[in-house]
Amino acid sequence: MTQPTLALRSVSKSFGMTAALDDMTLELFPGEVHAIVGENGAGKSTMIKIMTGVHQPTSGRIEIDGAPVVMSGTKAARLRGVAAIYQEPMVFPDLDVTENIFISATDGLVLHRAAMRRDALALIARIGMTLDVDRVASGLSLAEQQAVEIARALSQDVRVLIMDEPTASLSAHEAAELRRIARTLADGGVAVVYISHRLEEVFQIADRVSVIRDGKHISTRAIADTNPQLLIADMVGREVGNYFTKMPSTAQDDVLLRVQGLGVAGVFDDVSFDLRRGEVLAMAGLIGARRTDVALTLFGILRATSGQVSYKGRPLTLRSPADAIAAGIAYVSEDRRKLGLAMALPIRWNISLATLKRYLSRLGLIDVGAETDMALSFRKRLNIRTPDVEMTVGMLSGGNQQKVMLAKWLNMQPDLLIVDEPTRGIDVGSKAEVHDLIRAFAAAGGAVLVVSSDLPEVLAMGDRILVMREGQQMAILDSGEASQERIMALATGQRGAA
Amino acid sequence: MLQKIAPQTLRIIALLAVLVLITLFFTTQIEGFLSGRLFNRISSSVAIMALVATGQTLVILTRNIDLSVGSVVGFVAFAAGSMITNHPDLSPAVLLAYSAALGAGFGLINGLLVAYARVPSIIVTLATMALFRSTLVEFSDGKSITTDNLPAWLTDFPNMVVFALGQMEFRAGFCASVLVVIVAHLAMTKLRAARQLYAVGSNPEAADLAGIDAARVVLVAFVLSGVMAGLAGFMFLARFGNITVVAGMGFELKSVASAVVGGVNIFGGSGSVIGAFLGAILVDLLETGLVRWAVVSEFWREAVLGTLILAAVATDTIISRRLTKARAERAQKEALASRVAK
Repeated sequence: MTQPTLALRSVSKSFGMTAALDDMTLELFPGEVHAIVGENGAGKSTMIKIMTGVHQPTSGRIEIDGAPVVMSGTKAARLRGVAAIYQEPMVFPDLDVTENIFISATDGLVLHRAAMRRDALALIARIGMTLDVDRVASGLSLAEQQAVEIARALSQDVRVLIMDEPTASLSAHEAAELRRIARTLADGGVAVVYISHRLEEVFQIADRVSVIRDGKHISTRAIADTNPQLLIADMVGREVGNYFTKMPSTAQDDVLLRVQGLGVAGVFDDVSFDLRRGEVLAMAGLIGARRTDVALTLFGILRATSGQVSYKGRPLTLRSPADAIAAGIAYVSEDRRKLGLAMALPIRWNISLATLKRYLSRLGLIDVGAETDMALSFRKRLNIRTPDVEMTVGMLSGGNQQKVMLAKWLNMQPDLLIVDEPTRGIDVGSKAEVHDLIRAFAAAGGAVLVVSSDLPEVLAMGDRILVMREGQQMAILDSGEASQERIMALATGQRGAA
Repeated sequence: MLQKIAPQTLRIIALLAVLVLITLFFTTQIEGFLSGRLFNRISSSVAIMALVATGQTLVILTRNIDLSVGSVVGFVAFAAGSMITNHPDLSPAVLLAYSAALGAGFGLINGLLVAYARVPSIIVTLATMALFRSTLVEFSDGKSITTDNLPAWLTDFPNMVVFALGQMEFRAGFCASVLVVIVAHLAMTKLRAARQLYAVGSNPEAADLAGIDAARVVLVAFVLSGVMAGLAGFMFLARFGNITVVAGMGFELKSVASAVVGGVNIFGGSGSVIGAFLGAILVDLLETGLVRWAVVSEFWREAVLGTLILAAVATDTIISRRLTKARAERAQKEALASRVAK
């Protein structure tokens, strides 16, 4: 083969103590579509950020045309012909298509609208799209916005185009169109990096496919030399010692929640399951499987457009999170920083935030004594490692923050606890503790819905496992019949492989 | 059809329509309202505010705000006045450049703090509004500039009639200001660098990924706002002659009002200099009309103005939210349709 356009040579990247990329080597050749697959958190986004100059490697080097380069930022990467487009396009909503395409151009003081417009039309035509170049970007569909981004990359003589989950939010027709564009670019000599969770898509478009896992390069094969089973094995294969112990079920007979044909138009549809008291149902799937949207619907943030939910034997209609809380449903968000905790406030304040009514004295003032007692009891029960409940939550480690967040919702004494990625970004010891807490909640008669992308966690916690893929419920597996390979096959759409 | 017309053009047409309607309304209410004197009164006042509002627009486009402009106008008016009082032979061009440079200096302070020290602009300029004003008090030593000490060319300049249409006099001050607005408008629509201002306000993250140096863009916006406020200070001195330490007070809010009434999105990314100019005229027209309209007491005058500004911003927010929603719904429908087709 010819020389690679871009190559990573033994690139490592760590953030503090965690290694996001470990000795990664990858070569991208002109004219190839190179697919990259891996589980959530395998290091794909870190790799993109290194290739686009957002992050600098901790060690190792990047080569372009065989010569080592340092890319100090996105601008430097763009100048060297490396550009990326994402699932959520980065356009300027207030500018029109032409202005969006040429926003990074630097030649000339005065804009030549007519020339720009003509060039924009030519670029859009080159990727085989039809698009009104005078339209303001805020009115464009996602697919059209992506086309604008691709045209912008082309206007800068792109040589390596990274497409990160580009089809995740697109309809089937739009996705096919985008794959066609990617192929056209590759045929024109561009090295296309195609990151996708859809294995069938990988087999449709890629020339070669690389698997990465836990920040390491696992394999690179020509598409003809591999098959879905092989890729899945590479994606989930784990070193021993990373497993959690399977917890025995505590399920009772009493059905707390029955979901039938639940859907939100355009997001997910036909999700059905029963959840009994004492049971932990785990929801597995990849990014874009819409698991969190199901959780948000059960918490009243999204409005269901089809299906029924019955709860404690009666039909349940949720209009807002307040309705859900009143019904005894708690939702622990996956995003601690944004939706979960007030980082600058003390632990005590955070725990009582959702239940402050209980700590009011007759005068309507906060009874600090009762509030503190409650916080201290949670510190003991959940083993939150802090000398003082007056400390701000931001000072705690990720694992302890997670416990504070659980405490906040457990304090509500819910019947149904929905936890979204309960152990993301926390250490293994804390993970096990969080698992124990959730199981203890179930053992005491609560029902739990766990959304998790961590397969060992799903297998350890779930009494049953519901696998989703792109807004569709693929299967509900009993814990006895579930395995990492089986879940991954369902989550990537390899129904026959399961 | 309406989709074909650019939203900005539509907005300017709407503003012109509102201007006509309000003028007609006051004409039916106030005897002799519509006259050459009305035009002369408003054009003289707008000549100053239009400059400040232009600068304010540049800053608001980048998702920031400049509350210090009133103090800058006051300071520059005073400093330029004392300069010409002490050096009566100074040429007009030098005095103008002095005013602009002073304004640029104040803008630079704001810009550095906002763009590089990352302090929110509302805090920075709230503080510098007070700081610049206090500096003026200190600098002036409590004294005032008086018209008697100013050269005739300066005080005559704003009222010099360039040409007249019947009773409507196009005075030099107004003409100069309109010229600046036109140049600024052309620059904002034609210059490559100006497009970056819109980009930063429209989507800062995408601007960063597109290789735009957002901090520098914000800095430049503040410096230009300072320059505009400096020029306005020069005009203020020329028009009023008597300058005290309260000169230009309240200009910050009036300039923000002009911009948002003129369709500049307070959340950045969209709006035009011409819009802000029309906004300044609208605010002034309302003020003038309300002063002379016996039905509204002085107390309610402020309330009516406040309501207008609220209505302008609320309409803006509602319209943009509707657009986003409509777009999301359409995308969803298309996705569903293609799923069904499959």
